[in-house]
Amino acid sequence: MKLLLAEDDAILADALSAQLRQVGFEVEAAPNGAVAEYLLLKQHYDIAILDLGLPLVDGLTVLKRVQMVKPALPVLVLTALDGLDHRVAGLNAGADDYLTKPFDFPELEARLRALLRRARPLPADALEMGRLVFEREAHRASIGGEPIELSPREWMLLDLLLGQRDKVVTKEQIAQSWGADRSEASGPSSIEVYVHRVRRKLEHSGLSIRTVRGLGYLLEAQTPPPSS
Amino acid sequence: MNLHIARQSLLGALHPFTRIRSLHRQLLLWLLLPQLVLWLAAAAVSYATAARYANKAIDASLSQAARSLARQVKPIGNGLFIDFPRAAQDIIEADRDEGVFYMVSTPPGKYILGNRKLDDPPLPKDPPLGTPHLYNSTVEKMPVRVAALYLAYGDDAANKQTLLVQIARGRTQRDELASEILRDTALPLSGLILLMSMIVWAGIRAGLAPLARLRAAVEEREPHDLAPLQIEAAPAELRSLVGALNGLLTAVQGNVATQRRFISDAAHQLRTPLAGLKSQTELALAENADPALRARLERVHESATRSAHLVAQLLTLARAEPESAAALGRSRFDLRKLAHDLSAEMVPRALKAGVDLGIDESAEEASPGELFVEGNALLVREALANVIDNAIRYSGSGHEVTVRTRPDGGRVVVEVDDTGPGIPGDLHERAFERFFRVSPSGSGCGLGLAIVKEIVERHAGSVTLESLSPHGLRIRMELPLAQR
Repeated sequence: MKLLLAEDDAILADALSAQLRQVGFEVEAAPNGAVAEYLLLKQHYDIAILDLGLPLVDGLTVLKRVQMVKPALPVLVLTALDGLDHRVAGLNAGADDYLTKPFDFPELEARLRALLRRARPLPADALEMGRLVFEREAHRASIGGEPIELSPREWMLLDLLLGQRDKVVTKEQIAQSWGADRSEASGPSSIEVYVHRVRRKLEHSGLSIRTVRGLGYLLEAQTPPPSS
Repeated sequence: MNLHIARQSLLGALHPFTRIRSLHRQLLLWLLLPQLVLWLAAAAVSYATAARYANKAIDASLSQAARSLARQVKPIGNGLFIDFPRAAQDIIEADRDEGVFYMVSTPPGKYILGNRKLDDPPLPKDPPLGTPHLYNSTVEKMPVRVAALYLAYGDDAANKQTLLVQIARGRTQRDELASEILRDTALPLSGLILLMSMIVWAGIRAGLAPLARLRAAVEEREPHDLAPLQIEAAPAELRSLVGALNGLLTAVQGNVATQRRFISDAAHQLRTPLAGLKSQTELALAENADPALRARLERVHESATRSAHLVAQLLTLARAEPESAAALGRSRFDLRKLAHDLSAEMVPRALKAGVDLGIDESAEEASPGELFVEGNALLVREALANVIDNAIRYSGSGHEVTVRTRPDGGRVVVEVDDTGPGIPGDLHERAFERFFRVSPSGSGCGLGLAIVKEIVERHAGSVTLESLSPHGLRIRMELPLAQR
């Protein structure tokens, strides 16, 4: 996975490169905007991390120029601005995602993975989480090699939960995926019934569907017991 | 607000020592005092004039009477023929009440006729003959006006004799006349003075009204409001004062803005090195197996994380302050939806901390629908994020945090309940102070609730703490419901 890291702060760039390499990225670092732009336009990258406050050419300009040539390249912007800054609104439109400094590395990694998933959905590939293998294309799901039967609504529910793992899936989102009709069938009690069924089918998958009071559901991997 | 109170108490403290004069009273005094003097002078002059004219009239009639009486006395040779008919006597003595007295004598002191003994006139030795002389005197302790007329009789120069005719009349009538004239002049004059005083009073009030408006405008100011004062229709003198005040306000505003910009810039500049510090520490932790070193690195990482949090909070606080907040703009938004989205976003963090974060559904079923408020959505979001973050941070693993939104009259109430240890009641007020921390442990920096208070009050709302039983804390934010 080739990644370009455009960050002018040497200490941060150094640590980030090492951390990114540790989790399997092939990292190339650019110390300023001009180098970043040159590299992004000349070479192939799967993803880029752009600092906004780059010398020579600022991050937003690099972003705009690169997106004109390579609109599909996922870009995560690093910024010292925060959510209250009106400039972030503009950023929101241009970048795929942004992260405010300072950040926790696991957060950065999760965002990068999410961007890559979004940029290159793997319909043919099997989606694995815990012991669950979820094959979207083939419309097959199995736990530890054992196939499980899912009704269309159960399938859509699990698909939604997998797509937003570790995030809250609201009841509205579930109802919407079922056809957006606010009839009796997609009422909250009905959603609960389906969640209950999917939960039972995931019993030995190492995954659990957590109920978030008043909001919806969240799919998380069960923490493995300390012995293993 | 504090500034206002301080100013008030300062005035109060000064009061016993330096008498604070009201400009209104001063002007009134100095405008009415001359009027009073004028009134007194006018009364005195009119009394004097009245008395003079009354005297003149009476003197004329006395002189007339003296001449008439003198005509009745005709000299014959060296003697006198007095033709004083009863009728004439009656006329002179007609009004006894008025007290008319007369006497004819030949000086020195030889009484010829008359109804009373009158004193000799206070005259020089050789008085002018033929002209009545007028003077004040008393008859039986009664003040009288007297006309005295000296006449000469006798043929030969050697045997020349002098005749004195005196007529006196009581001065009561004259005094009455004078006071009547005085009354007739002074009464309308007093009315006029009263009317003028009222006009002056109203004039002063109208004249000082811009000053009162200026005072009100300054008093009503919030201490952070440094916008120029606007006094409509101010007179030139006040306009220059307002101009000077506005100059000062602009200068202060400039200073405040510079300072705030510095804080904001500094916070921005701190973020990148902190990110570097965190990343390097994380890397060192991942690469190092020595437990003692790891323990040290953990502390460094924790410290860097706390510094990062503090920087973020300082920046938010700088943003929440009015000058910056004004630049963020206002809109109308659904606070309930915001609470939902934010809670959903914060669930992963809560789960990591072992906290069960959720929404109180029963409150929403009791009052379904949107709850619109007006203001800056980013700031309100930041406030609510701080409240929820606080609840997650301080309740601790195994506890519940519940977010509730409901309408209450004209307000939207957002309550965040936790089942954690809570805050003792006597610290509820202080919990909103900047850098006040209820417990010295923990990863907070003591700015969270201060930020919440700042933002909520900026939106004409309020925030309070409440202890829950058996344990736990409720943070209640109230914001005005937006008009339809």
